[in-house]
Amino acid sequence: MSSYNERIKNFEKVRAYLRDFYVYGFKSRVEYTRKSARSYDNERRRMESWLGEYMRFVRTRDGKNMFISIDSRVSSHNPFYKAWKAKSFTDKDITLHFILLDILHAPDIVLSLPEILRRIDDYLFGFCKPMLFDESTVRKKLKEYIDEGIIVGEKEGKSMVYRRADDTAVPDNTDALHFYSEIAPCGVIGSFLLDKREKQEDHFVFKHHYITAAMDSEILGILFDAMQRKCEITAMNLSRQVLKPSAVRLVPLRVFISVQNGRQHLLAYQPAAKQIKSFRIDYLSDVKTGAVYPHFDELRAKLNHSMQFMWGVNCKENEKHLEHVSFTVRVDAGEEHMIRRLQREKRIGKIEKIDNNHYRFLADVYDTNELIPWIRTFICRITQLHFSNRTVENRFKTDLAAMYRMYGIDGGDAV
Amino acid sequence: MIFSELYSAYYNAVAEILSLVLQGETDEKTLQQVVVRHAFSESILTVLPALKSEKWQLLKSDRTTPIQNIPSMPLTTLQKRWLKAVSLDPRIRLFDLRFGGLEDITPLFTPDDYVIYDQYADGDPYCDEGYITRFRMILAAIRQRQTLRIEMVNRKGNRIAMHILPLKLEYSEKDDKFRLIGTGCRYGETVNLARIISCQRYSGSPFVPAQACPARRTAVTLKVLDERNALERCLLHFAHFEKQAERTDDGHYLVHIRYDADDETEMIIRVLGFGPLIEVIKPERFRKQIIGRLKRQKSCELF
Repeated sequence: MSSYNERIKNFEKVRAYLRDFYVYGFKSRVEYTRKSARSYDNERRRMESWLGEYMRFVRTRDGKNMFISIDSRVSSHNPFYKAWKAKSFTDKDITLHFILLDILHAPDIVLSLPEILRRIDDYLFGFCKPMLFDESTVRKKLKEYIDEGIIVGEKEGKSMVYRRADDTAVPDNTDALHFYSEIAPCGVIGSFLLDKREKQEDHFVFKHHYITAAMDSEILGILFDAMQRKCEITAMNLSRQVLKPSAVRLVPLRVFISVQNGRQHLLAYQPAAKQIKSFRIDYLSDVKTGAVYPHFDELRAKLNHSMQFMWGVNCKENEKHLEHVSFTVRVDAGEEHMIRRLQREKRIGKIEKIDNNHYRFLADVYDTNELIPWIRTFICRITQLHFSNRTVENRFKTDLAAMYRMYGIDGGDAV
Repeated sequence: MIFSELYSAYYNAVAEILSLVLQGETDEKTLQQVVVRHAFSESILTVLPALKSEKWQLLKSDRTTPIQNIPSMPLTTLQKRWLKAVSLDPRIRLFDLRFGGLEDITPLFTPDDYVIYDQYADGDPYCDEGYITRFRMILAAIRQRQTLRIEMVNRKGNRIAMHILPLKLEYSEKDDKFRLIGTGCRYGETVNLARIISCQRYSGSPFVPAQACPARRTAVTLKVLDERNALERCLLHFAHFEKQAERTDDGHYLVHIRYDADDETEMIIRVLGFGPLIEVIKPERFRKQIIGRLKRQKSCELF
């Protein structure tokens, strides 16, 4: 039985727990069935250690429910970034790290592996039981650091020599780092940069700030890297219908980020389906970069074209079957802010003025369903509705009637 | 790779401990505070004991270290690639920032690699030189706790002047707008930056209050019907608030959300977006507003 450790080897292990504790928060211990009860206890203890101030619990009939509650408008740094700073390492890893970077403390110090090994021994002299580092371990660590970009390895004759990489200054302006660490994709990297600076007072706070994407930072980083290199990827995708992950091969084309519902999707070409589809990024795991995909540019151009018909993330690529959506809203005197609201929220649609008190929204889209939540926000002033997809229009009206009934408004049994 | 020990709280804590030791600071309490500052609540049980027991051979029993230089690590390729990506964002001009040494670096992503598809279209004018100047002046005033004299156009289109002690800049990703949060101003404590037309340092007597008044908080309880994936959508949609969810005996879910009272209208329309899958349970005030809107909708005779 392994003992508890605050650090973790595999982020995937806590990714789902963090999401469940934060997004859902109503599950009791017995409902976390994906691993053993001990595993649940360990993950809960880790989360308490990382995010103690945000952990809450309630007692229910099923037991004690732990959950994470964060008002992201008050917390100016994404608390989930802490989990990314809990990677496990061995005693030798941390010892070697500081010794190696001390030996190669300036870019003009260039040493071979035997020279580095000799110096490591000097560093460890004087400890009760000095660690032993063999050539292979140190070479492996140097290779790892070359891959990370902090050490440079160069051939000198037949052997390799090593030096520290030239340093790039971390921007002095921690305001910029703070801002982008919260709002840019993979913002956790900005948080790593902030850790290198003296802690300074925060000058920014954030509203409507979704912080769950932090859990998907590694996946997002791999997807971006694949896009930069125009490569395909393989991944495990959890389908909501099947509730079981399945392997997919995709050509990632663009990440679609929502700042209104907290979700991130990957729009990708799926060769097996021969179409561009959307995939929830929080449902992807085990993403691996594959070979360069020769038609990447054509596919991205195709997606660019399709975006004129996409309200959200649904890309059916079928222009012969576009769905027409129109609705009219009443705008009374003194409600000019409603016209501004329509203009700023219309996305791919158009706004037409019908008369001084009526404005019409029009759009041709792949999927009318995606507009429904937005159209509902105009409830109290919708005077006309026309969807070419009659099923969706009827459901909109049925839903409205259900709302009338739900709130006891008479006569809600139309349609 | 993002999940790497190179960025870990432990490496950062140990780096600072070694720096202090090199500067002659070996007081146990001081070193413990470093661990508390960098790492997690239970790390105190790990970091110093591992150093003191020579598990991590960086600190000897006499509290000296074989490390000779203040620990430092060059930026990783990942960090450089992220900085390069950020340097391509139009808002970067708001910050007086120089990026050196990134010329040959491939950005981790470009603006072509992602889209925020539901952001409002009337975001702040980040390329406007006047806006940039005012933004920088406000940010400097926040740092220096300097009162500003601001002229702005209010919602009614009238030009007004005010004195305000700026405390924070608030950014909304949905609105793509910055707001100045300040104190001491009779017109309110929040000013949209795009409405400001001029801004200068105020040299008159400074304001006494240094804290913004806490936002008026209120709460709403929603009953969620778990159909059409409504539960997940609702919990994700309202995830950025302080909230609590519970399952009821009849298989529904109750979600309690705390929000700023000033944002009530926005909350109402967000709740309406879920249609019949969410019902407002309390407070009655909120429920009545939903009912009022539904009654007005009914009078539109849509069907």
